[in-house]
Amino acid sequence: MSLVGRWVDERINLTKIRRSLLDRSVSRDLTWWHTLGSATLAVFTVQVVTGVVLAMYYSPSPDHAFESIRYIDRVVDSGATLRGIHHWGASAMVVLAVAHMIRVFTMGAYKYPREINWLLGVALLFIVLGFGFTGYLLPWDQKAYWATAVGTNIAGTTPIIGGKLVTFLRGGSQQGAATLTRFYSMHVLLLPILFGTIVGLHLFLVIRQGVAPRAVELEPDAPKLTSDSGYPAYYRRREHESKTGGHRFWPDIIAKDVVTATLVIAILVALGIFVGAPLEAPADPTDASYVPTPEWYFLPFFQLLKLVPGSWESAIAVGLPMALVLVLLLLPFFDKRSVRSITKRPGAAFALGGIAISTAILLGASMRDQPKNAVAPEVGRILTSTERAGRTQFERQQCGGCHKVAGMAAVPKKEDAPDAPDLTEVGLRHTTAWLHSYIEDPVRFHPDSKMPAYGPPTLSHQEIEELARYLASLRGPPALNKQPEFRDTFPEPLKAKETK
Amino acid sequence: MSSTLAERVPDSDGEGSVGRRSFLKRLSALGALISAGLVSFPVLRAIFPPAARRPKAGNWVKVADDTALLDIGVPIRVNFVQSIDDAWIESRNLNGLWLYTEDGEKFKAYNGHCTHLGCSYFYDRNKKNFFCPCHRGQFDVKTGEVLDGPPPRPLDELQVEVRDASVFVNYKDFRLGVPERIEA
Repeated sequence: MSLVGRWVDERINLTKIRRSLLDRSVSRDLTWWHTLGSATLAVFTVQVVTGVVLAMYYSPSPDHAFESIRYIDRVVDSGATLRGIHHWGASAMVVLAVAHMIRVFTMGAYKYPREINWLLGVALLFIVLGFGFTGYLLPWDQKAYWATAVGTNIAGTTPIIGGKLVTFLRGGSQQGAATLTRFYSMHVLLLPILFGTIVGLHLFLVIRQGVAPRAVELEPDAPKLTSDSGYPAYYRRREHESKTGGHRFWPDIIAKDVVTATLVIAILVALGIFVGAPLEAPADPTDASYVPTPEWYFLPFFQLLKLVPGSWESAIAVGLPMALVLVLLLLPFFDKRSVRSITKRPGAAFALGGIAISTAILLGASMRDQPKNAVAPEVGRILTSTERAGRTQFERQQCGGCHKVAGMAAVPKKEDAPDAPDLTEVGLRHTTAWLHSYIEDPVRFHPDSKMPAYGPPTLSHQEIEELARYLASLRGPPALNKQPEFRDTFPEPLKAKETK
Repeated sequence: MSSTLAERVPDSDGEGSVGRRSFLKRLSALGALISAGLVSFPVLRAIFPPAARRPKAGNWVKVADDTALLDIGVPIRVNFVQSIDDAWIESRNLNGLWLYTEDGEKFKAYNGHCTHLGCSYFYDRNKKNFFCPCHRGQFDVKTGEVLDGPPPRPLDELQVEVRDASVFVNYKDFRLGVPERIEA
């Protein structure tokens, strides 16, 4: 032992702790599936580290949240990567926590004497989902805003307390500034403290009770039920025997854990670098036509809600998660058979398989018929609400009867229609302001223009503006990513108002 | 690892397991190092922003419309508001400087912050020098030299140009509290 090590050890006796923590014997032949829990913990650590950095550049206010996220993506060195890691880390947490839970379930490790640790694990799983739900709002883009609106509305359908619950979640009757700070506080203060504390207890019990031996170690000649009077003595004997293989926690177990964790982290970093995190248009509470999508791990649940008749919706929306919590919490207390392997528990195998298959079907179905926020093909992105209104106006006024826009459904040209300019790239040539003025009264710009004047009363200024905004978004095929070169010239009387 | 400790712990299969253990320990260390490295690299890049995000061009500010209207031999304080990009918001900064001339042709401009800790100093009409109220620093009006008190360097002089009788100053801030003049 080094000099410093001895000096410290003389004072606080770490050797004793190390012996019981690191050098303790563990059951033989633990599988790679046993590394899922520590991989979840590793990802949580990554989430904490990346989250701390993201919080340095994030502003939890509707005025600035979106801008600060864009600042992270565009200006902060490696900011987009960090946000990508954090985004994918959230999914990884859910995947790994669920996988860990399935591992514990199939190996019967939640049975005697680990019922308490199962309960702590259930709590941790729901905190992970809470992290996902609160974190989803923070970028304050369209997706964030509307998914949260739907999510809180679901909570609002709870019988009796629904109204109170939704006001509590939103920090008021409306979703807004108070909702954002509330979610932020939960995401970075409340949930991490809760999660850290419970993880501490969870780990403490793992050390105190040891990693559960494989199911086969605990099955031969076992009393039928774990509640039988002879079971604890049987368990102690068999567990002790399983530890005689000479495997130690350090380095035998830890090395495996580290390998899995490193692999997971490498994948996360790769996803962060090469895929990153999405960011849509800034939240627009007035955009009633936006179709919200929740994070993918909530999708099966949402798909299920679509399948149930309306009158049953609140029963499913609130009842199902409640039932799930209840089943998970009561599981170790109802299932007292001492048999542990999933292969010898047909009921459990069917239940797990059934849930897995139906979840997969629901997830597949929801991904298939998820109503997409229509990407306008001629623009190559989701239009803003104003632009969309302009597009509707474009169709209603049959602008396509004379003007061509590549990528838009062709409108049969009227017989007597004059030749009109192609508008495919009009947004590269003219600004919104110019387009607005032109549509209002084309003859003032070109004395021999055949285009009718659309100024009031034909269209209101609001409608012309929508149309102009839509036209300004037409910048040719998105792949070419052409930069606009505006060539706006105004007729004499408007010279004073000339724009850049 | 002390040798006594190793003896007390059951070893599985003698000689071979020692090599295996040390391999596993090295593997763990390597994995931990890779994980930590993968995450720390973007983290460290993000938390240490580069000192200067963009090359600063001159920040010329018009501080006086007409040289003929300026007092001779008495410094005047000029305050001005500038819009600046402050991370993800645009904010307004109030900056100040002192302008001094003895002949109405040649001008001196000093950054309005005391070089000690950045307080705004003022002109003491009785003593005819600059006085900083925070820690009683005093500066010469003509040269900006420190006359008294803790300031570590003379006042920060700014470039001045006269164009068509208007006075322009290239406003800059400098690191405070250090003897060298380093652009902030």
